[in-house]
Amino acid sequence: MRDVYVLGIGQTVFGKHTDLSVNDLGAAAGLAAVKDAEISPKEFQTAYCGAMHNIPVVGESILRRLGVDRIPIFNVENACASGSSAVHLLYRDIALGACEVGIALGVESLSAYARKFGKGLIGFEEDHEAKLALTMPSFFAMLCNRLMQERGATIEDICYASIKNHKAGISNPYSQYKKEVTVEEIMASPMIADPITVLQCCPQSDGAAAIILCSEDFYKKHNKKENRAPVRVAGSVISVSGAQDSSYDPLALKSLIDGAKAAYEMAGIGPEDLNVVELHDAFSGEELAAYEMLGLCKPGEGVTLARSGAAEMGGRCPVNPSGGLQSMGHPLGASGVRVVADIARQLWGEAGGYQVEGAQVGLAQMLGGVLSNIESPVVAGIQILVK
Amino acid sequence: MNNQIIFYPGTLDEKDGKFIQMGNKCKSCGKTSFPAVELCPFCCSDNGEKVPLSTVGTVFSFSVTRVPVGPYKPPIIGAYIDLPEGTRVFGQLQANEEELKTGMKVKVETGVLWTEKDGTEVLGYYYVPVETKHGGAE
Ligand SMILES: [Zn+2]
Repeated sequence: MRDVYVLGIGQTVFGKHTDLSVNDLGAAAGLAAVKDAEISPKEFQTAYCGAMHNIPVVGESILRRLGVDRIPIFNVENACASGSSAVHLLYRDIALGACEVGIALGVESLSAYARKFGKGLIGFEEDHEAKLALTMPSFFAMLCNRLMQERGATIEDICYASIKNHKAGISNPYSQYKKEVTVEEIMASPMIADPITVLQCCPQSDGAAAIILCSEDFYKKHNKKENRAPVRVAGSVISVSGAQDSSYDPLALKSLIDGAKAAYEMAGIGPEDLNVVELHDAFSGEELAAYEMLGLCKPGEGVTLARSGAAEMGGRCPVNPSGGLQSMGHPLGASGVRVVADIARQLWGEAGGYQVEGAQVGLAQMLGGVLSNIESPVVAGIQILVK
Repeated sequence: MNNQIIFYPGTLDEKDGKFIQMGNKCKSCGKTSFPAVELCPFCCSDNGEKVPLSTVGTVFSFSVTRVPVGPYKPPIIGAYIDLPEGTRVFGQLQANEEELKTGMKVKVETGVLWTEKDGTEVLGYYYVPVETKHGGAE
């Protein structure tokens, strides 16, 4: 396996962009990444585009606007891990020597989706449990109930990530929200699925993110950012769940635990080496469960870790300094690319108001999909970046 | 009589005028999966037989959704039900909110889940607490 480097990143502001199409959003993020990398898009040898609610040939449709043609372009759907999957496939192509440089895009317009299919909670199409009203919030509400029952989490603990991440998002120019929230405000907002209220859910968002990865040779020849320390994708794993029986506990999702272990092994580090993490906090409570599954603390101690302040700015390992999905917003297909780009930004020391000082090693994680008869969430994407 | 359809093909079989949940019991690994699909989800074996699922199980976890979802009006109580054969099934629970408890015993019932605009009745399964007597579908 060859080393893979980050050459450039780009993204749009996440939020409501009702006047911008999926193509507009994708092209803006792609162009920002190209400008950041200071190379011509004609250099790209392959491209991947992650999106969940897709327009046909979305990657080609976006990249033709940047003059990218006559190369293999692939469109990837893996729910909220669509962007992670796009990054992973590009990483793999370069690591295995199939190409030297390429771009991974992630894009989503939930405004466009709502115009087509309406608003409200939806289950996964063609899934039988979804037809019985199993939705993302109802699934994560069960996870929160497990946290309260098994880990002694209080409502304050369940609201913890929402409060922490909304606060962090204020200093991020790309985030959807610039507003702090309190436990009282969170619990006074409309209830979606007990105990999950609107202010514990990520917002509906439009946006796009892009990352340009390359081989070591290409990096040495083309990197023009002399002051930027080289940042490597040291581990990348897509981990899919197995069949579900009654022994499954969503607080211990095997695909995420094993996927994180595999990524640590690839990178030659352990969770204790992490300085910064960006993860899937679509629902506030799930962040506490993720601490355990990523090995940031011992199994069973996610609530304790939250209460210790270790995951806050200035703590041992800040989690979601960008504001996370809670405050950044969550354009589904874009988030998996955005979290990796955000970790690169942190390691380069270019995160401005939300910079984690001295960050050397970071992890990006996404989870996607809730289905029948398989341990949900269904797909975990994990990327580790090292300076 | 109104036209009736099953909410999802393969989840309920009709036997002697009654609808029952049928799963696949794998003869290779012994696991029961529901609904039956092409191969055993645990071991890929095609050596299985269709068996009725246990009608009584326990609530592993539940949640109460307070907003409408598709044809359902809130509150919608959803729960993972663990069956004695080790199968976990998601279903709605028709119960009073006060009596909801993890670990409570529930039994399966079948009936109309919702009615389409053209009058078609959509049949499915749901669970009710074992202790109390509930009527049919709403
Ligand atoms: Zn089997």
